[in-house]
Amino acid sequence: MSDEPEPEPEAELELTAPLVPFFVVTGGRSLPPAHEYERTTLVSAKRDAAAEARTLSPEAREVMRLVADGFLSVAEVAGHTGLPLGVVRILLAELADEDLVLARKPIPPAERPDKELLHAVLDGLKTRFGA
Amino acid sequence: MNQDVLVWCLVAVAVIAVAAVAVLSIRSRAVEAKKQHNEAVLTARLGEAEGRLRDVSAELHRRQAEQQVTIRAAEEAAEDSTKAVLKGAARFLQSLAAEQMVLLEEVQRKYGGHPVLADLMEVNHANAQMARRAHGIAVMCGAPLGRRTKAASVYDVVRNAQGQIRNFRRVQIMQQTGFALKASAVSPVAHAVAELLDNAASFSQQDAPIEVTFQRVQKNLCIVIDDAGVGMNDEDRQNATALLSGTVQPRLSELGTQPKFGFPVVGRIAAQYGFRVDVTGVSRYGGVRAVVLLPEELWTEEEITAPATQAQAQAPRMSAVRDTDDTYELPRGRDRTVSGLPKRGARQRRDTAAPVREAGAPPARPAAVERNSGRSLGALQRGTLSGRNLDSTPSEGPEDS
Repeated sequence: MSDEPEPEPEAELELTAPLVPFFVVTGGRSLPPAHEYERTTLVSAKRDAAAEARTLSPEAREVMRLVADGFLSVAEVAGHTGLPLGVVRILLAELADEDLVLARKPIPPAERPDKELLHAVLDGLKTRFGA
Repeated sequence: MNQDVLVWCLVAVAVIAVAAVAVLSIRSRAVEAKKQHNEAVLTARLGEAEGRLRDVSAELHRRQAEQQVTIRAAEEAAEDSTKAVLKGAARFLQSLAAEQMVLLEEVQRKYGGHPVLADLMEVNHANAQMARRAHGIAVMCGAPLGRRTKAASVYDVVRNAQGQIRNFRRVQIMQQTGFALKASAVSPVAHAVAELLDNAASFSQQDAPIEVTFQRVQKNLCIVIDDAGVGMNDEDRQNATALLSGTVQPRLSELGTQPKFGFPVVGRIAAQYGFRVDVTGVSRYGGVRAVVLLPEELWTEEEITAPATQAQAQAPRMSAVRDTDDTYELPRGRDRTVSGLPKRGARQRRDTAAPVREAGAPPARPAAVERNSGRSLGALQRGTLSGRNLDSTPSEGPEDS
């Protein structure tokens, strides 16, 4: 009866999840408001940020390194670090709080043709030439 | 004649007296003899009774001893069977929790840009705590901890431990080190540190910090955990030391209804994997200083970059393209991301075009001096462009060069 579970214990459980979960990377901070650090927001390190960056977590330092030489979009930072976008946004908000990075609103989208106008034209064409 | 009568009377009285004395003495002698006889009989009986009593009490002791042995055997059998049952259950929970950790990681990546990420991270935190409990129970029942197959920096191991306790925000890791733990030590050390952090958190005030520092002392690497709690008295210290050294291994039934797994589990793990844990020190805040002492067999000095392991999971195909050709030729490490992608900084994209790299010359260096003006503007523009390309799919390594 006591021998029953014996054959199994040798099969050691392998832990494959990443060692450092995301909530530790972000320090448990919450996501910044939706309109801050959007995908296309541009971020850059401040000029004199290098010295203070030394005490940061490896992930935050990696973000600092990426944005050290110029502006990079939030989505790109996420792509390069391999971290989920939300995690990067939290890191960036934290770095901005510590006055290490600068965020710039995305350049407003280039003049896109007015959708309504296009619809109106389409409708006009349809009525004129049939479907 | 009167005198004669008197004399005769006196004689008679004397005779009577003598006779009475004689009779009395005979009587008393008889009584004495009887008494002695009775006493002898009583003493004999008493001796007999005492002997019987002695036999009975000896029998009693023997029975008691027998009973103790039986009870102990029964307890051990009960302990063993409880352990077997609990072990099976704990192992089940262990593997479920591990599975869930992987699943949650995937879901968090999938919904990385969605507000639900915040909740997913909460769930992940709860799951990490549950996993620690499951591992703890498993270890108490003699099952192994889950193992990891990759070496990791001590810093990350402590961060992993941090994630396993409720108030993880209170934990401050004060420094980063170039020390890495060997793969086999990652999981046990993380678990031990997690238990110590949990202990530190539960015996100090809600907002008090818990500081983690690293020290190298001769051939040992120390993970030092300082709390600002109430400290321990001498008895607590002795108990803790006994538990942590693994010399005292309490039974499951001795752990109480709100079982204190912490120190017994740490003691077992430490003994099993060959490190030491000490909690007798006093922290700089007057609380407890816990030290995990890792002998040199368990760690190395090589540095393991944390984000690399994570980035690889996400972007294997990006690094595959890059790593094959020119990763190692690049003289400036900062031009690359950890996954081998060229980093997008100012002007780098054009300056580090393929021909330059083949020559192995430091790319973008000479140009860097002249281009200060207009640098940010160009970067801004390119950043925007590339950012938009990247918008939906984060993989853009191959398109570049």
